[in-house]
Amino acid sequence: MNCPLLAEDTTDVLLDYSAGRLDAKRTAMLETHMLSCVRCAAFRAEQTEVWAALELWEPEPVSMGFNRSLWQKIEESASASWYRKLVDALRFGAWKPVFPLAAAVFVVAAGFVFDHQGTGTPAPGILNGSGVSMNEVDQVEKTLDDLQLLRQFDAVSAGVTSGQTDSVPM
Amino acid sequence: MWQRVNNVVGAATSPDLDAQLMLRVRDGDEESFRVLLDKHRNSLVHFVYRMVQDQPVSEELAQEVFLRIYKTRASYEPTAKFTTWMFRIATHLALNWLRDEKNARSEARLDEDRGGDLPAREVPDRKPTVEQRMVYNARLQEIRDAIAQLPEKQRAAVLMHKYEEMEYSQIAAVLECSESAVKSLLFRAYETLRSRLAHMVTGAPMISGSGVSGAKR
Ligand SMILES: [Zn+2]
Repeated sequence: MNCPLLAEDTTDVLLDYSAGRLDAKRTAMLETHMLSCVRCAAFRAEQTEVWAALELWEPEPVSMGFNRSLWQKIEESASASWYRKLVDALRFGAWKPVFPLAAAVFVVAAGFVFDHQGTGTPAPGILNGSGVSMNEVDQVEKTLDDLQLLRQFDAVSAGVTSGQTDSVPM
Repeated sequence: MWQRVNNVVGAATSPDLDAQLMLRVRDGDEESFRVLLDKHRNSLVHFVYRMVQDQPVSEELAQEVFLRIYKTRASYEPTAKFTTWMFRIATHLALNWLRDEKNARSEARLDEDRGGDLPAREVPDRKPTVEQRMVYNARLQEIRDAIAQLPEKQRAAVLMHKYEEMEYSQIAAVLECSESAVKSLLFRAYETLRSRLAHMVTGAPMISGSGVSGAKR
Protein backbone atom coordinates (compact mmCIF):
# COMPACT_ATOMS: atom_id res chain seq x y z
CA MET A 1 0.00 0.00 0.00
CA ASN A 2 0.99 3.63 -0.47
CA CYS A 3 2.00 5.64 2.55
CA PRO A 4 -1.06 7.63 3.71
CA LEU A 5 1.19 10.52 4.65
CA LEU A 6 2.22 11.04 1.03
CA ALA A 7 -1.07 12.69 0.14
CA GLU A 8 -3.10 15.02 2.33
CA ASP A 9 -6.44 13.44 1.46
CA THR A 10 -5.34 10.03 2.70
CA THR A 11 -4.02 11.13 6.10
CA ASP A 12 -7.51 10.62 7.51
CA VAL A 13 -6.82 6.90 7.59
CA LEU A 14 -4.27 7.50 10.34
CA LEU A 15 -6.73 9.71 12.24
CA ASP A 16 -9.41 7.05 11.89
CA TYR A 17 -7.02 4.35 13.00
CA SER A 18 -6.16 6.27 16.16
CA ALA A 19 -9.87 6.82 16.76
CA GLY A 20 -10.63 3.12 16.35
CA ARG A 21 -12.86 3.85 13.36
CA LEU A 22 -11.12 1.77 10.69
CA ASP A 23 -12.50 -1.58 9.64
CA ALA A 24 -10.48 -4.73 10.30
CA LYS A 25 -9.19 -5.12 6.75
CA ARG A 26 -7.75 -1.63 6.52
CA THR A 27 -6.49 -1.75 10.07
CA ALA A 28 -4.49 -4.82 9.11
CA MET A 29 -3.18 -3.12 5.95
CA LEU A 30 -2.12 -0.03 7.86
CA GLU A 31 -0.49 -2.02 10.64
CA THR A 32 1.50 -3.98 8.08
CA HIS A 33 2.53 -0.71 6.44
CA MET A 34 3.59 0.82 9.74
CA LEU A 35 6.01 -2.04 10.35
CA SER A 36 8.15 -0.57 7.60
CA CYS A 37 7.16 3.13 7.74
CA VAL A 38 8.72 5.05 10.57
CA ARG A 39 6.78 8.24 9.81
CA CYS A 40 3.38 6.59 9.96
CA ALA A 41 4.35 4.68 13.09
CA ALA A 42 5.42 7.92 14.78
CA PHE A 43 2.26 9.66 13.61
CA ARG A 44 0.13 6.85 15.00
CA ALA A 45 1.88 6.93 18.37
CA GLU A 46 1.50 10.69 18.81
CA GLN A 47 -2.06 10.81 17.51
CA THR A 48 -3.07 8.02 19.87
CA GLU A 49 -1.64 10.02 22.75
CA VAL A 50 -3.51 13.16 21.71
CA TRP A 51 -6.69 11.13 21.37
CA ALA A 52 -6.21 9.81 24.90
CA ALA A 53 -5.48 13.28 26.24
CA LEU A 54 -8.67 14.66 24.70
CA GLU A 55 -10.63 11.88 26.39
CA LEU A 56 -9.77 13.52 29.70
CA TRP A 57 -11.97 16.48 28.94
CA GLU A 58 -15.47 15.62 29.98
CA PRO A 59 -17.99 18.44 30.08
CA GLU A 60 -20.14 19.35 33.02
CA PRO A 61 -23.66 17.95 33.18
CA VAL A 62 -26.39 20.07 31.66
CA SER A 63 -28.42 22.08 34.15
CA MET A 64 -31.58 20.49 35.48
CA GLY A 65 -33.58 23.53 34.48
CA PHE A 66 -32.45 23.49 30.83
CA ASN A 67 -35.74 22.24 29.38
CA ARG A 68 -37.86 24.42 31.64
CA SER A 69 -35.89 27.49 30.67
CA LEU A 70 -36.15 26.60 27.00
CA TRP A 71 -39.92 26.14 27.13
CA GLN A 72 -40.17 29.45 28.92
CA LYS A 73 -38.28 31.08 26.06
CA ILE A 74 -40.53 29.35 23.55
CA GLU A 75 -43.62 30.67 25.33
CA GLU A 76 -42.14 34.15 25.57
CA SER A 77 -41.25 33.99 21.92
CA ALA A 78 -44.76 33.00 20.96
CA SER A 79 -46.21 35.99 22.74
CA ALA A 80 -43.35 38.37 22.05
CA SER A 81 -44.10 41.84 20.85
CA TRP A 82 -42.49 43.13 17.68
CA TYR A 83 -39.84 45.14 19.49
CA ARG A 84 -38.87 42.10 21.53
CA LYS A 85 -38.35 40.15 18.33
CA LEU A 86 -36.17 42.97 17.04
CA VAL A 87 -34.04 42.94 20.19
CA ASP A 88 -33.60 39.16 19.95
CA ALA A 89 -32.69 39.37 16.30
CA LEU A 90 -30.02 41.97 17.01
CA ARG A 91 -28.79 40.24 20.13
CA PHE A 92 -27.80 37.06 18.31
CA GLY A 93 -25.75 38.84 15.73
CA ALA A 94 -28.19 38.85 12.87
CA TRP A 95 -27.05 42.25 11.68
CA LYS A 96 -27.41 41.58 8.02
CA PRO A 97 -31.22 41.48 8.09
CA VAL A 98 -31.22 44.99 9.60
CA PHE A 99 -30.79 46.46 6.15
CA PRO A 100 -33.78 44.77 4.54
CA LEU A 101 -35.66 45.46 7.78
CA ALA A 102 -34.81 49.15 7.58
CA ALA A 103 -35.87 49.12 3.95
CA ALA A 104 -39.12 47.37 4.84
CA VAL A 105 -39.87 49.81 7.67
CA PHE A 106 -39.04 52.71 5.36
CA VAL A 107 -41.39 51.41 2.69
CA VAL A 108 -44.16 50.92 5.24
CA ALA A 109 -43.58 54.39 6.70
CA ALA A 110 -43.37 56.00 3.27
CA GLY A 111 -46.52 54.25 2.21
CA PHE A 112 -48.22 55.45 5.35
CA VAL A 113 -47.18 59.06 4.80
CA PHE A 114 -48.09 58.94 1.13
CA ASP A 115 -51.39 57.30 1.88
CA HIS A 116 -52.38 59.95 4.37
CA GLN A 117 -51.04 63.07 2.69
CA GLY A 118 -53.79 65.61 2.30
CA THR A 119 -56.60 63.31 3.32
CA GLY A 120 -56.87 64.66 6.84
CA THR A 121 -58.71 61.56 7.91
CA PRO A 122 -57.18 58.54 9.55
CA ALA A 123 -57.26 55.25 7.68
CA PRO A 124 -59.18 52.33 9.15
CA GLY A 125 -57.17 50.57 11.79
CA ILE A 126 -55.58 53.67 13.33
CA LEU A 127 -55.28 53.32 17.05
CA ASN A 128 -56.55 56.23 19.07
CA GLY A 129 -53.77 58.56 20.12
CA SER A 130 -50.89 56.22 19.27
CA GLY A 131 -50.55 57.19 15.64
CA VAL A 132 -49.65 53.60 14.78
CA SER A 133 -52.08 51.45 12.89
CA MET A 134 -52.70 47.81 13.53
CA ASN A 135 -51.83 47.18 9.89
CA GLU A 136 -48.36 48.62 10.40
CA VAL A 137 -47.73 46.56 13.49
CA ASP A 138 -48.88 43.48 11.64
CA GLN A 139 -46.63 44.29 8.71
CA VAL A 140 -43.57 44.87 10.88
CA GLU A 141 -44.26 41.64 12.73
CA LYS A 142 -44.66 39.82 9.45
CA THR A 143 -41.43 41.33 8.16
CA LEU A 144 -39.61 40.13 11.24
CA ASP A 145 -41.12 36.68 10.85
CA ASP A 146 -40.05 36.67 7.22
CA LEU A 147 -36.54 37.68 8.23
CA GLN A 148 -36.42 34.80 10.67
CA LEU A 149 -37.46 32.51 7.86
CA LEU A 150 -34.86 34.02 5.56
CA ARG A 151 -32.19 33.34 8.12
CA GLN A 152 -33.35 29.77 8.42
CA PHE A 153 -33.58 29.54 4.66
CA ASP A 154 -29.80 29.85 4.58
CA ALA A 155 -29.57 26.81 6.80
CA VAL A 156 -32.19 24.85 4.94
CA SER A 157 -30.88 25.66 1.48
CA ALA A 158 -27.35 24.87 2.55
CA GLY A 159 -28.82 21.73 4.02
CA VAL A 160 -29.76 20.65 0.52
CA THR A 161 -26.08 20.54 -0.22
CA SER A 162 -25.37 18.60 2.90
CA GLY A 163 -28.20 16.24 2.11
CA GLN A 164 -26.46 15.46 -1.12
CA THR A 165 -23.18 15.17 0.67
CA ASP A 166 -24.70 12.90 3.24
CA SER A 167 -25.87 10.54 0.57
CA VAL A 168 -22.43 10.23 -0.96
CA PRO A 169 -20.94 6.92 0.10
CA MET A 170 -17.57 7.22 1.76
CA MET B 1 -8.55 3.69 -1.47
CA TRP B 2 -9.07 4.28 2.20
CA GLN B 3 -12.55 3.96 3.59
CA ARG B 4 -13.92 4.57 7.00
CA VAL B 5 -16.13 2.25 8.99
CA ASN B 6 -19.61 3.65 9.35
CA ASN B 7 -19.80 2.90 13.03
CA VAL B 8 -20.51 6.32 14.42
CA VAL B 9 -22.87 6.58 17.32
CA GLY B 10 -24.66 9.31 19.22
CA ALA B 11 -25.78 12.53 17.63
CA ALA B 12 -24.72 11.57 14.15
CA THR B 13 -26.98 8.51 13.87
CA SER B 14 -30.67 7.94 13.10
CA PRO B 15 -31.07 10.77 10.62
CA ASP B 16 -34.31 9.33 9.30
CA LEU B 17 -35.84 9.06 12.74
CA ASP B 18 -34.85 12.63 13.57
CA ALA B 19 -36.30 13.88 10.32
CA GLN B 20 -39.51 11.97 10.95
CA LEU B 21 -39.75 13.47 14.40
CA MET B 22 -39.12 16.94 13.03
CA LEU B 23 -41.84 16.45 10.41
CA ARG B 24 -44.21 15.60 13.23
CA VAL B 25 -43.08 18.74 15.05
CA ARG B 26 -43.86 20.66 11.87
CA ASP B 27 -47.35 19.21 11.96
CA GLY B 28 -47.85 20.45 15.50
CA ASP B 29 -46.70 17.48 17.59
CA GLU B 30 -44.98 19.08 20.56
CA GLU B 31 -44.13 15.71 22.07
CA SER B 32 -41.84 14.92 19.14
CA PHE B 33 -39.95 18.12 19.81
CA ARG B 34 -39.48 16.99 23.40
CA VAL B 35 -38.05 13.71 22.12
CA LEU B 36 -35.61 15.52 19.84
CA LEU B 37 -34.67 17.86 22.67
CA ASP B 38 -33.99 15.03 25.10
CA LYS B 39 -32.06 13.08 22.48
CA HIS B 40 -29.72 15.85 21.37
CA ARG B 41 -29.61 18.25 24.32
CA ASN B 42 -26.50 16.88 25.99
CA SER B 43 -24.37 16.46 22.90
CA LEU B 44 -25.33 19.92 21.69
CA VAL B 45 -24.62 21.65 25.00
CA HIS B 46 -21.33 19.77 25.34
CA PHE B 47 -20.27 20.71 21.82
CA VAL B 48 -21.05 24.38 22.41
CA TYR B 49 -19.39 24.23 25.82
CA ARG B 50 -16.16 22.93 24.33
CA MET B 51 -16.36 25.66 21.70
CA VAL B 52 -16.94 28.61 24.05
CA GLN B 53 -15.65 27.07 27.32
CA ASP B 54 -18.31 28.79 29.40
CA GLN B 55 -21.10 26.65 30.85
CA PRO B 56 -23.88 29.25 31.27
CA VAL B 57 -23.19 30.67 27.82
CA SER B 58 -23.13 27.21 26.25
CA GLU B 59 -26.57 26.44 27.68
CA GLU B 60 -27.96 29.76 26.58
CA LEU B 61 -26.65 29.26 23.05
CA ALA B 62 -27.93 25.67 22.93
CA GLN B 63 -31.35 26.90 24.01
CA GLU B 64 -31.21 29.46 21.21
CA VAL B 65 -30.51 26.62 18.76
CA PHE B 66 -33.55 24.66 19.92
CA LEU B 67 -35.63 27.83 19.99
CA ARG B 68 -34.75 28.57 16.36
CA ILE B 69 -35.54 25.01 15.36
CA TYR B 70 -38.91 25.24 17.07
CA LYS B 71 -39.75 28.66 15.68
CA THR B 72 -39.03 27.59 12.11
CA ARG B 73 -40.72 24.20 12.38
CA ALA B 74 -43.49 25.25 10.00
CA SER B 75 -41.06 25.57 7.11
CA TYR B 76 -38.99 22.46 7.89
CA GLU B 77 -38.08 20.21 4.96
CA PRO B 78 -35.98 17.08 5.51
CA THR B 79 -33.37 18.00 2.92
CA ALA B 80 -30.44 17.25 5.23
CA LYS B 81 -29.69 15.33 8.36
CA PHE B 82 -31.40 16.96 11.30
CA THR B 83 -28.14 16.98 13.24
CA THR B 84 -26.34 18.70 10.37
CA TRP B 85 -28.88 21.50 10.51
CA MET B 86 -28.72 21.63 14.31
CA PHE B 87 -24.93 21.69 14.51
CA ARG B 88 -24.71 24.28 11.76
CA ILE B 89 -26.91 26.66 13.74
CA ALA B 90 -24.90 25.86 16.88
CA THR B 91 -21.58 26.45 15.14
CA HIS B 92 -22.74 29.78 13.74
CA LEU B 93 -23.95 30.94 17.14
CA ALA B 94 -20.79 29.77 18.89
CA LEU B 95 -18.50 31.41 16.35
CA ASN B 96 -20.47 34.65 16.56
CA TRP B 97 -20.26 34.58 20.32
CA LEU B 98 -16.52 33.89 20.24
CA ARG B 99 -15.95 36.78 17.85
CA ASP B 100 -18.00 39.16 19.97
CA GLU B 101 -16.37 37.88 23.11
CA LYS B 102 -12.86 38.20 21.74
CA ASN B 103 -13.35 41.95 21.65
CA ALA B 104 -15.34 42.33 24.82
CA ARG B 105 -13.74 40.05 27.35
CA SER B 106 -10.50 40.71 29.15
CA GLU B 107 -7.86 38.02 29.54
CA ALA B 108 -8.00 38.37 33.31
CA ARG B 109 -11.70 37.53 33.37
CA LEU B 110 -11.08 34.59 31.05
CA ASP B 111 -8.43 33.09 33.30
CA GLU B 112 -10.64 33.58 36.32
CA ASP B 113 -13.56 31.79 34.68
CA ARG B 114 -11.45 28.91 33.51
CA GLY B 115 -9.94 28.45 36.93
CA GLY B 116 -13.30 28.32 38.68
CA ASP B 117 -14.96 26.19 36.04
CA LEU B 118 -13.08 22.93 36.26
CA PRO B 119 -15.43 19.96 36.53
CA ALA B 120 -14.96 17.71 39.50
CA ARG B 121 -13.89 14.26 38.35
CA GLU B 122 -13.37 11.11 40.33
CA VAL B 123 -10.86 8.35 39.81
CA PRO B 124 -12.99 5.21 39.72
CA ASP B 125 -10.89 2.81 41.76
CA ARG B 126 -9.69 5.05 44.52
CA LYS B 127 -9.98 8.60 45.78
CA PRO B 128 -7.50 10.92 44.09
CA THR B 129 -4.98 12.51 46.31
CA VAL B 130 -4.61 16.27 46.39
CA GLU B 131 -1.48 15.91 44.30
CA GLN B 132 -3.25 13.76 41.71
CA ARG B 133 -6.09 16.21 41.59
CA MET B 134 -3.69 19.07 40.96
CA VAL B 135 -1.91 17.13 38.22
CA TYR B 136 -5.22 16.23 36.65
CA ASN B 137 -6.48 19.81 36.73
CA ALA B 138 -3.23 21.07 35.24
CA ARG B 139 -3.50 18.59 32.38
CA LEU B 140 -7.13 19.39 31.82
CA GLN B 141 -6.24 23.06 31.65
CA GLU B 142 -3.57 22.26 29.06
CA ILE B 143 -6.14 20.45 26.94
CA ARG B 144 -8.65 23.27 27.20
CA ASP B 145 -6.00 25.84 26.33
CA ALA B 146 -4.76 23.78 23.40
CA ILE B 147 -8.30 23.52 22.00
CA ALA B 148 -9.05 27.17 22.69
CA GLN B 149 -5.92 28.25 20.81
CA LEU B 150 -6.92 26.42 17.64
CA PRO B 151 -8.37 28.58 14.87
CA GLU B 152 -12.15 28.55 15.19
CA LYS B 153 -12.94 26.33 12.22
CA GLN B 154 -10.24 23.83 13.17
CA ARG B 155 -11.63 23.81 16.69
CA ALA B 156 -15.16 23.12 15.49
CA ALA B 157 -13.93 20.39 13.17
CA VAL B 158 -11.93 18.64 15.90
CA LEU B 159 -14.81 18.79 18.38
CA MET B 160 -17.25 17.32 15.87
CA HIS B 161 -14.74 14.66 14.78
CA LYS B 162 -13.54 13.70 18.24
CA TYR B 163 -16.53 14.11 20.53
CA GLU B 164 -19.54 13.94 18.21
CA GLU B 165 -17.93 11.19 16.11
CA MET B 166 -19.20 12.77 12.92
CA GLU B 167 -18.32 11.62 9.44
CA TYR B 168 -16.12 13.92 7.34
CA SER B 169 -19.06 14.51 5.01
CA GLN B 170 -21.27 15.73 7.84
CA ILE B 171 -18.58 17.99 9.28
CA ALA B 172 -18.16 19.40 5.78
CA ALA B 173 -21.90 20.03 5.57
CA VAL B 174 -21.93 21.78 8.94
CA LEU B 175 -18.92 23.95 8.13
CA GLU B 176 -20.08 24.48 4.56
CA CYS B 177 -16.85 23.35 2.95
CA SER B 178 -15.57 20.32 1.05
CA GLU B 179 -14.61 17.01 2.61
CA SER B 180 -11.02 17.49 1.54
CA ALA B 181 -11.05 20.89 3.25
CA VAL B 182 -12.30 19.19 6.41
CA LYS B 183 -9.52 16.59 6.22
CA SER B 184 -7.03 19.39 5.79
CA LEU B 185 -8.50 21.31 8.75
CA LEU B 186 -8.35 18.19 10.91
CA PHE B 187 -4.84 17.30 9.82
CA ARG B 188 -3.55 20.74 10.75
CA ALA B 189 -5.55 20.88 13.98
CA TYR B 190 -4.31 17.51 15.19
CA GLU B 191 -0.80 18.42 14.13
CA THR B 192 -0.99 21.41 16.47
CA LEU B 193 -2.53 19.32 19.22
CA ARG B 194 0.14 16.63 18.84
CA SER B 195 2.83 19.23 19.36
CA ARG B 196 1.08 20.55 22.45
CA LEU B 197 -0.42 17.48 24.05
CA ALA B 198 1.47 14.37 23.01
CA HIS B 199 3.84 14.73 25.95
CA MET B 200 0.98 14.37 28.40
CA VAL B 201 0.61 10.63 28.02
CA THR B 202 4.27 9.94 27.42
CA GLY B 203 5.31 11.89 30.50
CA ALA B 204 3.32 10.11 33.17
CA PRO B 205 0.27 7.92 33.67
CA MET B 206 -3.03 9.80 33.65
CA ILE B 207 -5.61 9.74 36.36
CA SER B 208 -8.56 9.87 34.05
CA GLY B 209 -11.80 8.35 35.20
CA SER B 210 -12.74 7.40 31.67
CA GLY B 211 -10.54 4.35 31.35
CA VAL B 212 -9.08 5.58 28.11
CA SER B 213 -7.35 3.18 25.82
CA GLY B 214 -6.65 5.86 23.28
CA ALA B 215 -6.94 3.77 20.16
CA LYS B 216 -10.39 2.30 20.73
CA ARG B 217 -13.48 3.78 22.18
ZN1 LIG C 1 3.71 5.61 5.90
